[in-house]
Amino acid sequence: MNLEDELRAALRREDPSPDFARRVAARAQSSTKPARGIPWMMWAAAIAALLVIGFSAAYEYQQIKAERASRDAVIALRIAADKLNIARERVVRRETPANTREN
Amino acid sequence: MSDDPERFEVLVREHQAMVFSMACRYLRNRALAEEIAQEVFLQLYRKLPSLESEDHVVHWLRWVTAHRLIDHSRHEKRRPQSPLEDAPEPAAADSMSDADPLLSEMLRDLVASLPENARVVMILRYQEDLDPMDIARALDMPIATVKSHLQRSLALLRDKLSRQKGVGK
Repeated sequence: MNLEDELRAALRREDPSPDFARRVAARAQSSTKPARGIPWMMWAAAIAALLVIGFSAAYEYQQIKAERASRDAVIALRIAADKLNIARERVVRRETPANTREN
Repeated sequence: MSDDPERFEVLVREHQAMVFSMACRYLRNRALAEEIAQEVFLQLYRKLPSLESEDHVVHWLRWVTAHRLIDHSRHEKRRPQSPLEDAPEPAAADSMSDADPLLSEMLRDLVASLPENARVVMILRYQEDLDPMDIARALDMPIATVKSHLQRSLALLRDKLSRQKGVGK
């Protein structure tokens, strides 16, 4: 036998352990399962997060609107009360006689 | 090609000897060779839908295995690189008889001690029986480089073996 034939004999193919193919197939399947589940779960989580953010923003907006309305109502009441006081003072001044005022 | 798990297992059985033997001859370590062969097949599983034919699968497997092995020895540095001239002298063989187990073992050791690219070229030539043109295509390497690796490696092996025969006499 020449060197090249010796090399072919020495380097001929050999099989791995008997359960190699089964182990590789099992690993391939297990490695793809979570990958297939992730997009569905991610979509659900993203939609849920968007809904929570949307509802919170709407609730916050309503709160701000209600606070602003109550502040406006208080200011309006104060202005009305001031005007009523001025009017009352004028009425009191007219009703009081001039001599009483001089005394 | 389909990535159906049963079809994939059949594909692994068809090509496991090629991939495992390339890794085993290159690394001289069965456990590590199985680990790398397993990684190559898992990569194949993800790649299957884009591979068009059986020939494409074989070509892809050779290419990926060869490059994984070269990358492995470059990055992991588990096997210190030593030129063939510095390889330890293997046990002397009595004769060059048919499938002499001692001579085969010695040749496997000598091939495993070659530099990375030369080692892969020798494995593809003598394990896979590819001609230099196919090896050049499988490794994206100029054909002149493949031929030079083959000639140089064979000359080194002959020299090493004749020295061994001299020692054995």
